[in-house]
Amino acid sequence: MIKSKSDNIYKFIMLTLLILACVIIVLPYVWMISNSFKSTKETLTDPNHLIPRNFTLKGYKDVLFDSPFLKWFLNSSFIALIVVTVVLFSSSLVGYIFSKYNFKLKGLLFMVLLATMMVPAQTTMVPSFLLISKLGLYDTLWAVIVPTCISAFGIYLCKQFCDEIPRELMESAKLDGAGDFTVFFRIALPQIRPAIGALAIFTFLECWNDYLHPLLYLSSTDQMTLPLALSYFSTAHSSNLSATMAASALIMIPSAIVFIIFQKQFIKGIAMTGMK
Amino acid sequence: MRSKKFILLVLIPVFLHVLVFMIIPIIGSGVISFLDYNPLRDNNTFVALENYKQLFSDGDFWKALKNTLVFVVVAVAANIVISLFLSAIITQFRSNRTRSFFRMMVFLPCIAPLVASSVVWGRSIYPTNGGLINLIVTSLGGKPLNWLGDARYLMMSVILFTLWADVGYNTILFSAGMDGIPTEFYEAAAIDGSGRWNQFWKITFPLLGRTFAFVLVMTVISYFQMFAQFNVLALKNGPQNSGLVLTSYIYKLAFTNKNMGYASAVSVALFVIIMIVTLIQQRLNKVDWEY
Repeated sequence: MIKSKSDNIYKFIMLTLLILACVIIVLPYVWMISNSFKSTKETLTDPNHLIPRNFTLKGYKDVLFDSPFLKWFLNSSFIALIVVTVVLFSSSLVGYIFSKYNFKLKGLLFMVLLATMMVPAQTTMVPSFLLISKLGLYDTLWAVIVPTCISAFGIYLCKQFCDEIPRELMESAKLDGAGDFTVFFRIALPQIRPAIGALAIFTFLECWNDYLHPLLYLSSTDQMTLPLALSYFSTAHSSNLSATMAASALIMIPSAIVFIIFQKQFIKGIAMTGMK
Repeated sequence: MRSKKFILLVLIPVFLHVLVFMIIPIIGSGVISFLDYNPLRDNNTFVALENYKQLFSDGDFWKALKNTLVFVVVAVAANIVISLFLSAIITQFRSNRTRSFFRMMVFLPCIAPLVASSVVWGRSIYPTNGGLINLIVTSLGGKPLNWLGDARYLMMSVILFTLWADVGYNTILFSAGMDGIPTEFYEAAAIDGSGRWNQFWKITFPLLGRTFAFVLVMTVISYFQMFAQFNVLALKNGPQNSGLVLTSYIYKLAFTNKNMGYASAVSVALFVIIMIVTLIQQRLNKVDWEY
């Protein structure tokens, strides 16, 4: 009897702490949205209330009509679409080859691949920038796309999953006269679907949220991606707080909605790629 | 025979890409660090170890190194404690829906671009004029702080922001690890009269070993590389360079000062530091493993 009472108190305290944590997490979002509907003047002179006294859409109008917001959105989408597609394709194919074939230098090549994963992009900023300039890609979307098209992590992840496909499955398909590509597409790919899903989420997030590479490689306003554009926008229009918050909201809300819809897959994917 | 063609057809372009975009930049970083390299100049001379010698007498470098270490140690420790705590609480809920609801909430900030969150915090949460934190602090009777403009508080502010933005990721990883622990262990412990605190340290924590080692290494590595929030929150690296970290110092040297040779030397230093820390951690984890 006593135990269950202390149990309830414990549960109550834990629930309260969790709810408090959630409030802390959500509050900045709420404040961002609130400020995006206030005029900058109201935010600065009379900030002490959550619901705007004078509800205004001016911030959103400034962002959507006086800046190339749509262009930024399209740039980000274009980059993400190509990068995710190529990374998924190349990772699964190369991971499959490393898992199911034997060839000369296999061990060495795989080691090289893993070793590149250990080198953070922040430590190769200078040569990467010079390389992109030399290749004539500077200030084009391809500067961000091309270097990220092969993912060592993706290859590693797909290899791990391919290792678990029984060899007999492929042998029998080959006996039926199927070529290497066919076996890969028909037999291997369906088997590693969970890995592909997780990799898609992971690659998309990394690409969509990337700040460093666009900052290094893109300079004209028309070529920017959303994260870069936002930091540019917030400095260029530093007196227009309302528009800055509107731009932030426009960038964050869509991904938040996508996340809430697909949250199960997201969280499973993150946990899986983390654990593997 | 056909298989060989298939392998070559795939691996040759892939490894050419790896060579050009990963290996050449890595070697390039080392090579440029021995040059006095300015991209706007035609003649870039070989200066041997001059750039590395300069590191030792460069006050800004040591300041950046100190700031980076403070950030990594404090933020990683706080992140691990908070995310372990949150995942431990969340895992205790029996209902799957409650668990996934709280996990979703905690993870929410992780999907937003770090830069976007930084802008929101920098312009709406931290400002002294109309910022949310100071409004809350004053309404609770506290003294408002100059979160980003005061050298004493800037690093703390960046750490608080980073925790808000990033704790969810590790919480998910720990939760996944905890879900894998059979409930029978806890039931047995409860029958033996073991308390919750005890259960956590005697069951959850040891069985989480592998996840914990992984999370720790990954978090340390990624926190050494943090850049976006410093770039946004620490305006011009903050008062008295209080927000200068190694990544932002490399960026400043290379792209503001156009001193790419020296920037590469700092890059190599950062890389070596990350390598050493990773190796030490792996050693420590191995010792743990043999128990």
